[in-house]
Formats: sequence, C-alpha cells, structure tokens
Amino acid sequence: MDFGYASSQQALRQEVRDFIAENMTQDVVEEVHGRGEDGRGPLMNDLFKKIGERGWLGISWPKEYGGQGGDRLTQYLVEEEFARVGLSVGGGGSGAPAIMAAGTQEQKDYYIPRIIKGEISFAQGFTEPSGGADLASLQCRAVEDGDEFVINGQKIYTSSAHVSTHLYLMARTDPEAPKHRGISIFLLPMDTPGITVRPLWTIQNDPPAPEGTTYGTPRTNETFYENVRIPKSSLLGELNMGWYVGAMGLNLDRVGASRYLISVRRDEDIVNLAKSDSSEYLNIRNNPTVRDKVAEMWIEAQVCRLMTWRSMSIVESGGNFTYEGSAEKVWAPEHGLRATEAYAQMLGPYGQLLNTSANNVESGLFAHNLLGAFQSGINHGSVQIMRDQVARRGLGLPRG
Amino acid sequence: MDVLLSENEEMIRNLAREFLEGECPTSLVRDMEKDELGYSQDMWKKVASELGWTALSLPEQYGGLGEPLQFLGLIFEEVGRHMAPVPLLSTMVSALTIARDGSEAMKSDILPQVASGDLILTYSFQETDPRLIESAVQTTATADGGDFVLNGKKLFVDNFNQADKLIVTAKTGKGLTLFLVDTGSAGISTEKEVPTAKDKQFAVIFDNVKVSADSVIGEIDKGWTTAEYMLDLGAVFYASQMCGAARKDFEMGLEYSKNRVAFGRPIGAFQSVAHMLADAVMYIDGGELLTREAIWKMDQDQPYQVEVSQAKAFCNDKLQHVTVYSQMIHGGMGFMMEFDIHLWYRRVASWSMRMGSTFEHRARVAQGILDTPGNVELGMIQALPA
Repeated sequence: MDFGYASSQQALRQEVRDFIAENMTQDVVEEVHGRGEDGRGPLMNDLFKKIGERGWLGISWPKEYGGQGGDRLTQYLVEEEFARVGLSVGGGGSGAPAIMAAGTQEQKDYYIPRIIKGEISFAQGFTEPSGGADLASLQCRAVEDGDEFVINGQKIYTSSAHVSTHLYLMARTDPEAPKHRGISIFLLPMDTPGITVRPLWTIQNDPPAPEGTTYGTPRTNETFYENVRIPKSSLLGELNMGWYVGAMGLNLDRVGASRYLISVRRDEDIVNLAKSDSSEYLNIRNNPTVRDKVAEMWIEAQVCRLMTWRSMSIVESGGNFTYEGSAEKVWAPEHGLRATEAYAQMLGPYGQLLNTSANNVESGLFAHNLLGAFQSGINHGSVQIMRDQVARRGLGLPRG
Repeated sequence: MDVLLSENEEMIRNLAREFLEGECPTSLVRDMEKDELGYSQDMWKKVASELGWTALSLPEQYGGLGEPLQFLGLIFEEVGRHMAPVPLLSTMVSALTIARDGSEAMKSDILPQVASGDLILTYSFQETDPRLIESAVQTTATADGGDFVLNGKKLFVDNFNQADKLIVTAKTGKGLTLFLVDTGSAGISTEKEVPTAKDKQFAVIFDNVKVSADSVIGEIDKGWTTAEYMLDLGAVFYASQMCGAARKDFEMGLEYSKNRVAFGRPIGAFQSVAHMLADAVMYIDGGELLTREAIWKMDQDQPYQVEVSQAKAFCNDKLQHVTVYSQMIHGGMGFMMEFDIHLWYRRVASWSMRMGSTFEHRARVAQGILDTPGNVELGMIQALPA
C-alpha cells in the first residue's frame, strides 16, 4: 500500500501550478467565459499549444503515438491541477481508448497523435431518441454499398458535435442479428455531407453559468444523418462487433479521474467560501449543524478520490476491473448531487440566486451547480445502470 | 501510489485469515460472550507467541518485529472479520502509546512482555462526560511525596478484567498526565458494563489509588498529545475491525440472497435487494480505503488526525448500514439467536460508538478544514489546528 506521491510527482505538481499562475491570465479566463458553448477561442488554442509543448497532453499515451509513455497517476495529477482552474486536459471521451484498443494501425497512426495534439476531437453519436440506457436497441442504419457505408438515422445528445472535428458513431449494420450483435462503430469527419447538427439548449443555458461552475453543458445537439457516405476504412474494429468495441471504450472512459475531478472544485469551493471573511454573514463556519454536513460531504469526496486512486492502481498493476469503474460512476455523481444540494442549502435563500440576480453569492455559482449536478448521474450510463453493474458483474447476482 | 495490497500485505492478511478460519468458529465467539473472563487464553498464546501479532509493530530493540502499523491494521481487519475473542486491540493501543512516549525503563520492562504475549494491557480515557477532549477528564492525580494518588471514575474500559495493567489519563496540576497502573492496585473497583457486542467492558473507579512517579508515561502535565495518539490508534484500529466485520457480514448476506428463493427466484435477482448489496460493497470499500490511508499516514509520520477521523466517521455511519442490510436480507432468520449473523451486527453497532462517534469525528474533520488558515485542497495533507 502506498497512499502518497513520489517527490518527482510533487515537483511536477508545483511545475503545473507555476505554469497555470503564469499562463491562465485574466484575458484567457474572460475568453473562456465569453465564448460559452462555442468551444476554444484563439487565446485558449494558444494555451493548449503551450500545454502540449510541456508534454502535458496525452501523458499516459504511448510515445510512438506522440504521448509521453507516462503512468496514469502522473496524468491524473496534471489533470487535477488543471481541473482546479476549470480546464480539462484529459483528452476525454471514449473514442481515443476505443481506437487504441480496436483500431487498425492506420487508424491509430492517424488519429491518436492528432487527438493528443488537440487537432482532432470526437463527438460521440451513440444515444438515440428511442433509447438511452437501452443503447443496444439503436436504429440508426449503416448499409454497405460498394466501397462505402451509407448512414441514415438520428442521434440525440450528441454533445460537442458543433465544435468537434469528428464523430464516433454507433450504427446498426445487421438488423437481423440479435441486438448486441448487429452494431458497428464508425469514425468520420463532422463535415461529411449529409450530417445536420441542431442545437438543444439545456437548463444551464439561461443565464450562462458563471466561471467556476462545476457542471456545465449549456448546449448539446441532435444530429441527423441523411445518406451520409463514408469509406469502408471508417469502420472501427470488426463489422457487427461495435457493441463490444464501444463498451470497452466506455469502460476505460469511466475509469478516468474526470468524475472525481468535478469534486475537487465543488467541495473545495464551499470550504473556501466558508473560510473567507467576506462570507461571515452566511454563518457557515460557526454553525455546528452546517459544520457537520460540510465534514460529511468532505469525507464522501475523499472516498470518491480513493475510488479513483484504486482504479488507477488496478490499471497500473495490469489488473482488470470487475465493478470498480462502475462503483466510481455511482459514487462520484451521487456524492455530487448530495453535496451540491447541501452546499446551496447552506447559503439559505442566497443558494437559489443565479448569476444575473442581484445579491447573489459567488456569481450564483452554487445555484448554477444545482442546475447540472444530476447530469453526471445520467450521462455515460446512469447511476441506476451502474449500480446494477456493481451488483451483477461485481457481486455475481442473478438477473431478475 | 498504489492503494492495493502488496504481496507481503496479502500474505500477512491471508495467514491471519487462515489461522482464524481454523481456530475461531462462531461457537467460540458465543462461548466467550458468556464466559466470565471473556477471552480465549489458548488463542491468545497462539496469536502472540506463534503468529507474532503482539510483536509485529513494536520496535525491534524491545522484542518487536518493527513492522509498519499497516500490517497490524490488516490483522485487525481479520480480528474483526472473525470476531476473535482476544484482547489485542486494547493491548496494542496501550503498548504503542508506551513505545512512543514511555520512559526507557518502562519500554524495556513492558514492551518485551507484550511482544511475547505475557502481558495484557488496556487504556482508559472517557468518563461520565464521554467526549474525547482534554477538558472532559475529571479524574485527578495528586502528588504525594514522590508518588501520585488517583481519584475518579473511568467508563467504557475494554478488557479491564483481562488486563494486567491499564493506562489512566488524569488531571495533574497544569494539565493532563498518563499513568500505567496495575489493574490489581488497592483502591480500584469496577462496575460491569454490557455492550451490544457482549465483549468485556467496565467502569473503573479509583479511590485513592497510589501510583509511583515512574509509572508516568511521557511528561507530567503534558500528556494531551500522548493521549491523542492513544485515542487515534484506538479509533483507527476499531475502524479496521469494523471493516473486517462488515465485509464478512455483507458476504453472508450476499450468499443468502443468491440461495433464498421467493416469488420463484433468488431474492438477489430483485433490484431492491441487489442495489442494497451494491451499496454495501461500496460502503465497505470506501471505509477500508479511508482506514488504510489513515494508518499509512501514521506510518509515514505525516499528519494523520483528520484522516483517522474521516475513516472512523465514515465507518461508524456506513458500516452500520451494511450490517442492517444484511439483517434485512436474512429476514426473520437474522433476528433469531441461533443464527450467527447477529454476532457481527451487534459488534459493528457497538464498535461504531467507541473511540469517537460519527458526530465527534466529523467535528474534528470540520476543524481540520474550516479552522485552519488558507484554502483547502482535497487529497492533500491537512493538519488539525494547534
């Protein structure tokens, strides 16, 4: 057992902090905030280039694909520091790990270095209006036609499709096969003719969330596919085996530190607010009932952290998960909900005021978090599905 | 960083588990609940002299093996899992406290006897006002020539009837002082307490009990930090025992849910039952990780008090749920005296209230994060305010 950081890792943490202090300037912060759902602006692009030059993107990816060949803990540590200022440098999403696991050599050579550099980003086209949790019942069709596949159908909650360069799409290739055995995965550019992206605005869009909000998806999309023709080389993994390729990617994505990293900001925010002299009128620090709740939530956040550390330890030691990734995906979002509700409640009537309101606290940060906290309990497999996986896969309980 | 057990650690745990699986049937646990003395002397000899549990984490120069507390923590998980009726926790908490702050003469005298299993110890702190703070101690030690005279009443003293000596915390002129006292000293009387765990616990009354100056542990009047160390050891090792006990209790509930059929299917196939068990395993994992991290910090000489309180508060709160879930899954059967599951339920409940309640430990965590200067950082070292 070892619950500590090596001195080299602590030095790296300091290096990242110094970098952030120097480069995360007020104009960058304002650009991020001002652009809202429109993705990275020029200042942010510059910043990411600098982060890439330091070798902090793709730390745990193999060197031959432009990564650093580092361990997951080092990557996590860098991600954690950037998460404190609201930046995600994890590369995120389930596309990259799926390509790494199931892609052809050409696909790996093409995509992975570009993903690491930030030149290629994937939107995930999985969910359809007819099924969320029951993903395998999807109906979007891909039909072979000579050297091509032709795609027709509709996807929903295709988040970031409007700012991504590529799409990671799940479509049905054999409607006669059992539902899990007739699905394939495709990689295609977003600008392929026949794709239409239509915005769906979430309840976090009006007013836009303030800087520092833990949860933020002001916009997602629905996407329509009309005779979209793509070459056969767009297929990822074997034909009709897409369900298993996708599940593998999702499982690896679930492991990442991203769930816990949401905690870092939210749980630190309330404590630091309570400690500041200017918040004395909120009577958080001196109220024993509230202190008890703050401590309870803080301990839960530590459990989220330790579950993440456990997953990383398993991966680093070459082991396999049975339920540990799903356990993280139950604990972190549910803690998030409990904590977000509790923290807003601690502010009393101020807890409901959004950032366009008079008399708000911290630009309405805690109220805004309330508008999105349940989101991470829904996306990428709801906590109910995850809890079921802990029970069935982890504990071997029979299906009902 | 690697939070999984190393090969060595797994070996330590497996050896303890194999031994207790063979030697500690629930019939023995039940017998010891009814036994006047309350522990198996035969098992104590074996775990001390054959398995080396009492020597494991004591310093080598005093007959110990000098291994980290982490190893001992794993032993306590197994002790909890099997509810082993041996006075290991009270002995080791006391011995480690002496190893930290006792005089050279005391360490040379006491620790080798503990290592060999020839001496059983216990400790006392809590009184009528059971809070784990310095000002709750009302027992006094008055200087009398070269000696001290103790007066007062300690409550919730584990294994007093089994122990040769006990640590007593008492008010002296300007602060707190710890003494190592013979349990057979003139002027000591006891009242029997009956916890739900049905292990041995007593109130101990001191009526002009004379102790010599060389029985002082650490410095006179400056015993609070020594006492804090003792209380933290007690809290975290109780958390270890609770994790072990809760995991076994959960495993029994899980097994039962796969075999018990109702409405034509195993009850574990019902989601309401399955999700209860999923929550249970996550609670246990969480408690275990927090507890192991706290002990690891103690081994590293890093600040550990917030971590100890995190672990004990979480285990108190969540592991009780785990045992309740298992009771529910067992239905009426679990409520029957003849069925074993209540043995774990009663212990986890009882242990959760020892060495600091959920609320006390959360209050300490709150101090650590709210009453310290500067901003907090999750997962970073957090010391309590001085």
